[in-house]
Amino acid sequence: MQDLLNAATLGSIYLLFALGMALVWGTIGILNFAHGATFMFSAFIGHMVSKETELPFLGVIGISVLVGAVISSLTQLLAFQPILKRSKSQHAAEMRILIGGIGVAAIPLALAQRETRSSPFGFNSSYKSEVFEVLGLRLTTTSAIIIVAGLAIGVGLTVWLRRSRQGLALRAIGVDAETSAGMGVNRPLLAFTTMAVAGGLAGLAGALLTFHLGAIAPETGDQLVIKAFAIIVLGGLGSMLGTVIGAYVLAGAETFVLVMNWGTWVDAVSFGLIFLILLARPQGLLGRKEVRRT
Amino acid sequence: MTDTTTVRRRTALLEVQDVAVHFGGVKAVDGITLEMRPGQIYGVLGPNGSGKSTLLGAMTRLTPLTRGRFVLDGKDYTRRPARTVHHMGIARTFQTVRLLEDRSVRDNILLGQDTLPKQQRKEAGARVEEVMERVGVREVAQLRPDELSYGMQRRVEFARAIIGRPRLLLLDEPTAGMNSAERAEIGVLMKQLLEEGITQFIVEHDVQMMVDTCDYLFAMNFGKLIAQGTPQEVVRHPDVQEAYLGKGAGRDA
Amino acid sequence: MSDWYYMNVVLIQTTLTTLLLALSIQVPLRFGVFSFAGVGAFGVGGYGAAMAMVHLEWSTWPAVLAGTLAAGAAVFVLGLVVQQLSGLYMGMATIAFTLIVSVVAVNGGDATGGAGGLYGALGEITMTHIVLVVLAVVALLQWTEMKGLGRRIDTVREDPELANALGINIAGYRQMSFLVSGLIGGLAGALTTLLRSTITPAEVNFHLVIVALTAIVVGGSRSWIGALIGAVIFVWLPTVLSFVEEWEKVAYGFIVAAAAIYLPTGVLGVAKDSWHRFRTREERARVAAALQETS
Repeated sequence: MQDLLNAATLGSIYLLFALGMALVWGTIGILNFAHGATFMFSAFIGHMVSKETELPFLGVIGISVLVGAVISSLTQLLAFQPILKRSKSQHAAEMRILIGGIGVAAIPLALAQRETRSSPFGFNSSYKSEVFEVLGLRLTTTSAIIIVAGLAIGVGLTVWLRRSRQGLALRAIGVDAETSAGMGVNRPLLAFTTMAVAGGLAGLAGALLTFHLGAIAPETGDQLVIKAFAIIVLGGLGSMLGTVIGAYVLAGAETFVLVMNWGTWVDAVSFGLIFLILLARPQGLLGRKEVRRT
Repeated sequence: MTDTTTVRRRTALLEVQDVAVHFGGVKAVDGITLEMRPGQIYGVLGPNGSGKSTLLGAMTRLTPLTRGRFVLDGKDYTRRPARTVHHMGIARTFQTVRLLEDRSVRDNILLGQDTLPKQQRKEAGARVEEVMERVGVREVAQLRPDELSYGMQRRVEFARAIIGRPRLLLLDEPTAGMNSAERAEIGVLMKQLLEEGITQFIVEHDVQMMVDTCDYLFAMNFGKLIAQGTPQEVVRHPDVQEAYLGKGAGRDA
Repeated sequence: MSDWYYMNVVLIQTTLTTLLLALSIQVPLRFGVFSFAGVGAFGVGGYGAAMAMVHLEWSTWPAVLAGTLAAGAAVFVLGLVVQQLSGLYMGMATIAFTLIVSVVAVNGGDATGGAGGLYGALGEITMTHIVLVVLAVVALLQWTEMKGLGRRIDTVREDPELANALGINIAGYRQMSFLVSGLIGGLAGALTTLLRSTITPAEVNFHLVIVALTAIVVGGSRSWIGALIGAVIFVWLPTVLSFVEEWEKVAYGFIVAAAAIYLPTGVLGVAKDSWHRFRTREERARVAAALQETS
């Protein structure tokens, strides 16, 4: 049972991280490789500010979310938007966006590594995590906040995409960009907003994981990108609910591997999952029927 | 009578037998049977979405069939993969220009003979200057497609399709986007190719051009063949008039 | 000259092995296959060669051959398995393959030396050997870029449907690209490992994918010459940029992002375009004049 709770915490972190990536990829078709660097750098700026002056919990969260949104919007404005404008086809753009994202990701990573000499960093905050027991299970306040935030935002985003006008416009772009542009959807603006929201989510995930673990290393973001890819593919591109399920399935599988003491294999879980899913059910658990095959 | 029909059967270049292509519930092509003899220019008329291009796609095996058979010169190629169709002597052009952007006009034309058997390839390769001359792109042989006008790009596609001397040439709207002078030139070129023994099958909107160029016409609507015969017969056919001009339009005019 | 050579012998070797690694990623890209399996092949080849030397006590070249063939076979099989996937999905599945190679290496026990890696596999490889091997690979690739084969490969990448209509066996070409990618990547891994005498799982990581990819993107993805330009830039840039050494990695990020935005065909692509425009200036002038006449 304690393991289930740990898996739920881990899964919620994965979820908060993967949601931003899934939102952007599933709607405006951008696989943002710099999402991991955005995640890390948001927490890093929180760390830098809190070094100057002690911050309350919400202060750190606020700074990280804001930084994440700013980095992500700048990435869209300065890198992805120009690439899209210069590409003849979506197919050509895909690869350039992936490579551009890899380049963008290297910049904050190098900055943070230089400042911290590649050692982990944390926050200087007035908030202290407390341990309490529920039904005989040990739970920290941070874990509780993470689980609640993960579920609330995951479900909230799913509902918002299904119900709201903006959600409809976004999903329309995800299905057919040309037609939806003809129907009056302002693609650049919507793309910009989506990227900002995704960046904010990355910042939130960065701050919460840092609170949870006490400190994170600059390289943490890159591994999360691969895991988030596994989650999105597992759940099915374009399905937010799929992403929610995928996040907890991956976290559960990884926790299981750890519990069984096969610790060194833990990274193979996500990579192996990517493989299995792509071959057995390329559209994911809840993906659209349109299968991306040649 | 019996004698002539058997002779006719034997000399058919391409037989299309009860061919259907369904996309889900949409019957794009729905039971077409037709026959083409060598040494003719055939054309298919029909409004947008009548299934003309889909039929052409199915003939080259790029579009999967729901049912039916294709027989080229007595050989059934229905089950053979698309890439073998080219070797059998069927070449095609596409509705939109599809040229390699980074390659010169000459390279793009040579691509048409790259996959032929060695002997044929040698002969075709030696013809490249002549082919460029004939379609009128020799002056621009070193240029890339995006440096040419649209009409010129279409000529390059045409040249790519004929350099291997196919037995059957399928043309998907070959003069789309061309001005009337260019259309006329393409028409002349098609007649020349016919004299060299290349049978042609054209899909086109332009009724006038079809009447001027083709020896025999088919008309399609809603995936079915609605008429066939000489160009004059087909154009006057009431069903064809209705498909093109709408119900009752013939009478009002 | 010879002083310069002895001072930089390691950098020259690194340039050549980086070139091989970059080529192993570039080959599938030229066929329109978004595969990073070449980096996994690098790991398989490196471990294969090191294990043959350390455990089986083979000599240098049989060990290199063993590693290369093992990598070629592994990536060829991978290619058969993932050939239905498209675009980014293919890319991520092959990245997953690469990372699995390193996880297997960590868990390989005595056979792979675990997380610490494998030591003591020092091969007898001279600069002449490496140059000859690279020349052979480059000659093979040059052949694939010329004449009809080059045109057919371009068509498979740019327009698979057209390739099909023209009678090109797309699936066969793509399978071949996996095999060649695996062999070249394996060769790169085997040579690199036996030059350094050691290989660790940490070396077969995502960073290697980035190095190979950026070399190609900056240099040019359509020809081995582009990969060579990229390998030279990325291996030698640190020595030129040393005055801003602490910002080196930041500069890399900017260069890669800028190349993705402004130089989609790389340095080589820009050079080729300029040469093309210069060579055809008269023909283009004639076309423009003709257009003006008609309008």
